[in-house]
This record gives sequence, structure tokens and C-alpha cells, in this order.
Amino acid sequence: MSFLKRAGAAVFWVAVACVAAVCLAAIATSRGEQINSIWLVLAAACSYLIGYRFYAKFLAARVMALNDERATPAERLENGHDFVPTNKWIAFGHHFAAIAGPGPLVGPVLAAQFGFLPGTLWIIAGAVFGGAVQDFVILFASMRRDGKTLGQMAREEIGKVGGLVALVTVLLIMIILLAVVALVVVNALAGSPWGVFTIGATMPVALLMGLYLRYWRPGKVLECSAVGFALVIGAVFGGQWVSHSAYAPAFTMTAMGVAIAIIIYGFFASALPVWLLLAPRDYLSTFVKLGVIGMLAIGILAIRPELQMPAFTRFVDGTGPVFAGKIFPFCFITIACGAVSGFHALISSGTTPKMIARESHAVSIGYGSMLLESFVAIMAMIAACVVDPGVYFAVNAPAGIVGTTAQAAVKTISSWGFPVTADQMASLARNVGEVTLFNRTGGAPSLALGMAHIFARGGGGDAVLAFWYHFAIMFEALFILTIVDAGTRVGRFMLQDLLGHAWKPLARTSWMPGVIGTSLVIVAAWGYFLIQGVRDPLGGINSLWPLFGIANQLLAAVALSVATTIILKMHGPKFMWITCAPLAWLVLVTFSAGWQKIFSPLPRVGFLAQAAQLAASASSSQTNALVFNARLDAAVCGTFMILVTVVLVDSLRLWYGILRGTQRAVVIESPFVLSRLEVKEI
Amino acid sequence: MKLLRNLLAILREIGDQNAYARYLQAHGVVHSGEQWRRFSDERFRAKYQRAKCC
Repeated sequence: MSFLKRAGAAVFWVAVACVAAVCLAAIATSRGEQINSIWLVLAAACSYLIGYRFYAKFLAARVMALNDERATPAERLENGHDFVPTNKWIAFGHHFAAIAGPGPLVGPVLAAQFGFLPGTLWIIAGAVFGGAVQDFVILFASMRRDGKTLGQMAREEIGKVGGLVALVTVLLIMIILLAVVALVVVNALAGSPWGVFTIGATMPVALLMGLYLRYWRPGKVLECSAVGFALVIGAVFGGQWVSHSAYAPAFTMTAMGVAIAIIIYGFFASALPVWLLLAPRDYLSTFVKLGVIGMLAIGILAIRPELQMPAFTRFVDGTGPVFAGKIFPFCFITIACGAVSGFHALISSGTTPKMIARESHAVSIGYGSMLLESFVAIMAMIAACVVDPGVYFAVNAPAGIVGTTAQAAVKTISSWGFPVTADQMASLARNVGEVTLFNRTGGAPSLALGMAHIFARGGGGDAVLAFWYHFAIMFEALFILTIVDAGTRVGRFMLQDLLGHAWKPLARTSWMPGVIGTSLVIVAAWGYFLIQGVRDPLGGINSLWPLFGIANQLLAAVALSVATTIILKMHGPKFMWITCAPLAWLVLVTFSAGWQKIFSPLPRVGFLAQAAQLAASASSSQTNALVFNARLDAAVCGTFMILVTVVLVDSLRLWYGILRGTQRAVVIESPFVLSRLEVKEI
Repeated sequence: MKLLRNLLAILREIGDQNAYARYLQAHGVVHSGEQWRRFSDERFRAKYQRAKCC
């Protein structure tokens, strides 16, 4: 490279670093005045650019020694099905679509109760130094091992226990995940005839799409999805009509009613043929998700809204109404996806490593996709923080904390220093076509409000607020329900796989009694936690979201243990810090959070204290159920911690042996084969 | 133009249309309803045995 080009590049990267530093300093030091969202966008984007250009490239060159002359599994094992050398950007899009779920949208909205600053800094730093590193290293490791899964790598690199623990942890996380995301939908749809009609209408739309794709226009997925999209937009308008018609009461459901409907739906979606309901919904929801994320990015850049939420709120002390617990460790487990998500390790060791044509593509696909997901989390944080803080807390605080009447709620919330009036809330509810927006916990309604606010400012103002609010609810519910039905099916397969060791017929996915029985078990498991969340006087999210965050981050700890073992075997202790540092942080965060969730003496934080407080009150069947649920949550949390402790101890024992020289450090990679792929082929 | 082409290619990949084209090529067969059903049954069976991300 010529001197001028190098000097130009140096000036450019120094400028990017300066912009990142200035923007981070600006958002970190702003107090008592509103700040424009563009500061967050620039701080995040420039930090990601620096992380990608320098840290990811360092990892690729020095640690992984990516080599484009080495044939990837996609080339060596090409079979036209899953092993296919794929264009870098196509594989990037595929991987991003697979990792982007509701987590990076909901987590930041809930964490906004601490103010915009803690969550934003964690999203940026967590992704650059933790999440993207985890995704990248696991993708690399799987790619060098013929596309092996995280469980297989854990078993081979750490030991048999690691592999089994990874499998059981994933199954347990799935159950909590399905319950918590279903609860988000329940809280968004309860008491909303518009929302219930719209989401209800997506079921026949999906069935129609299934038939369309199977029999009328086979293989025309994009065309079929375009038709489906037009129909669900029609359903959003239809929902508006229904909400003003005599049919409104028929579509006005209680939280329990919506929960039961979702449980029944989950069972049928899991047992029905995939092509009929699940697959067409999945296509549609993926396209809608990518489209809406793109629209939100354009909206934020075009509108550049001011953040109404302060940098910090008083709730950093742990007394927050959205969920209880101090900023450390709870901010860091509330935002899992978007910063570090263990679930990504399953995708990075699933389909993606089988698609990569050149080893160097893993940088943009593994590291880059996570940065983009992190940017989605930043956008969600912005969407939550453009809403007036009084409104944010009125929407996200459960009735058990702020009171059951509008007057009680606004009085409590205003006394916290976030003024809001009953008239303001009533007017806002009218503008978005809802009866009330009080106590709509779970994050989805406040995210929808923020998104509607941004989209409506793009044109139409208050007149189109209702459409955009329900469009956002439709978008959130559509892909959350796709996760519920796909997750139930996956959970069923996992259970069949596990039970098949005890009795072989149970492992057969074509044996109907086995399919129905295991589907029922999985639906009953997550359905139980969902019902528990609905009945919880503190709103359910207070218990379930931290449990999900702890579980997801513990899975990340398993993935980072595998990654550290592989790096240690490759280079000795020299580069261990790369994965050890985020691993140590996650262990500290998750074990602190887990310990507090079980043993904190504060009933809103500790499950056992909550159980003791409830047990001391008047005994009734409902109270007894709540006591049992609190103890069950404590047991689930403890189980997660024990499982991961087993993997950690196993890993530490191995690392100690390698460092002492008593264990051999054998790198188990597939052999080097020279790549023969030509540029035009990829 | 290249950006749009790439975007469309990503959508086709996500929508399994690229995979279907590869399937037809690999098996030396032409598109038909029966071939799509055979391909999609196999594709969905593998796809929905994997955990979906949160």
C-alpha cells in the first residue's frame, strides 16, 4: 500500500476513534438535559467500526490465523443441502436473521428503567468485547471441526459432562425462554381487541400461506410472503374496525385467556405438519422482522428524536418497578441478547459454519452480525427512551406496585419524580386505539409506543399513531409466536432425544403417541411458567426475565469455556484473556444475580424471601400456589448455577492440567485441505 | 444495483429459494409441485430440529 493510502487510512481511523470517544463522553457526562439519540447512534456505530477493524482483525490474524487457502467444510463436504459454499453477504444475512430474536428488542426496553446510559454502555462494550468475540470464536471453532455443534465441541474439548450439561441447559433455557416471550405477548394483547384480532388473523393467514406454498404456487416463498404481508397489514386495519365495532367484546380477552390461547396454539403448532403453519409463519415473520428493523434504523436516522429518559434514574438502587434489583448485576442479565447471548453459540455452531466459503468470511459473519444485532439493541433502547419517562413507567410498572387505579398509579409514579397524569395516559391510549396503557408490562407495548412515536413523526403525526402502534405490536407478536411454536417443536425433539435413551420408541419423531406426549410435556412445562407469570402480582416479568437472562448468560459461560479451552490448546496461555475476560465477567454477573435471586432477603428480589413473606400471610390456595412458584423459581435458578458450575470446574481442571503440563493440549481440527474454490463460485 | 441484487439474494436464501434451486441442480430434476414438497419436507425437518435464537 502506498504511503498516501496508509496515511489516509490512518487519518480516517483516528477520526472514527475520535468521534466514538467524543460521543461516548457526551452521553456519559450528560446530566439534567435532553440528549439527541444521534449521539447514541454515532457512539455505537463508531465503536463497532473500531472493534471490527482492529479487534476482530487481530483475532482473525493472530489468534485464529484464518487461512483462505484452507478449504472450509462447505467446500470439502459440499452436498447441496446444508454444506454449501455461500456468498459472504448472503451467509451474513442468513446468520443475522437467525440470531436476531426478541431479546435485543425487549431487554433494552426493560433495562431503560435504570436510565439510558447503563444499558447503552453495556450493549456497546458487551458486544465488542464479549458477544461478538463469543460468536466469532465458536463459529471459527465449528468451521474448523466440520460444523460440529456446541454440545459436540464441549464433549470433545472439555469432557463428556460438558456435552450433557450443554444439552440439559439448552432444554431448560428453552422452557424459560418460551414462557417469558409468551408472557410479553400476553401482556401486549390482554384487553386489546385490536391486537387480539390482528394476531388472531395471522393464524389463518399462515395456514393460507402454507396451502399456497404447498399446492398453488410451490416454491414461490418470496411471492407467498408478499401476499401474506399484504394480508397481515389488512388484518391491522381490520383490527381497528373490530375495536370500534359491536364485535369488540368478543376479541377483548383477559391476560389468562390470552395465555391459555397461546398454550393451545403452541401445542397445535408443534404437532401440526410444519409446512401448514410453522414454516410459512417463520418465513413471513423473518421478512417482517428484517424490514421493520431496517425501517426503525431509517426512522431514527431521519427523525433523530430527543431522549426523554435521563442518563440515570433513581432505580439504580434496585427499587425499580419494572424489575427489582440493583444496576449490578441486574442491568447485565436483563440485556443478554444485544450484548452477550449464549444462544448465538448454538447458531454459530449450527447452520452457518456449513455455509462459509472462505475462512476470512467468518469475521464479518461471526463478529459483524453480532455488532449489527447490538445495534438493534441500541435502537430498541432509543425507542424506549423517546417515550416520556412518566408514560414509560406507567406502562411498564405492574399494578402490584403502582396501584390498580389510574389515580393511584399516576400519584405513585409522579412521586418518583416522573410526572404523568391520568388525562395524559387516557389521551395516549385513545391515540393508539387502546382502552388503557397502564400496567402493560413486558416491554412490548412501550417498545411499540416508542416505534410508533418515531414512525408517526416521519409523517402523519397523531393521526397515524394508532396504526403504527398496532403495526409494531403485530411485528413483535408475529415473530415471538414463531419462536413459541418453533421452540416447542425443538424442545419436543430434544426431549424425545433424551427420553429415547430410556425407551427407544420415544426417540422416533414419526411415532404419534410419542410426538403428542412429548409435545404436551414441553407445552405444559413452559405453559406452567407462563401461567405463573400471569398470576404473579408483581407482573411475572420481575421473576421470569431475570431467570431467562441468567440462563442465557450461563449458556454464554459454557460457550466461552469451550472457546477458552480451544484457544488455550492452540496457543497456550498467551491469548486466553480474549475469552477468559468476558467469561470471568459473565460468571461474576450471573452468579451474583443468581445468588441474589435465590437468597436476597428482599422479597421483590429473592425468591425464597418472597416465598417466606407469602407463607407468613393468610393461607389460601392462591397464596400456596405463589409460595410454591417462588420456591420452584429458586430451584430452577439454583439448577442453572449448579449445571454451569460443573462445566466451569471441568474446564478449570483441564486448563490447570494443560498449564502445568500434566494434560496434553491436543487441537482436534479437521485436516488441512487446499481450497480449490474460484472467486466466481462464491 | 449490486446492493439490490445482494439484498434479493439474501431474501431468497432466507426464503430457502436458493436452497431449492441447489436441490434441483444437485438432483438433476426440474421444478414441480412434487419436487418442492419433497425438498421442503426434508428442509423443514432439519430446520425445525435446531434451537431458534432468542
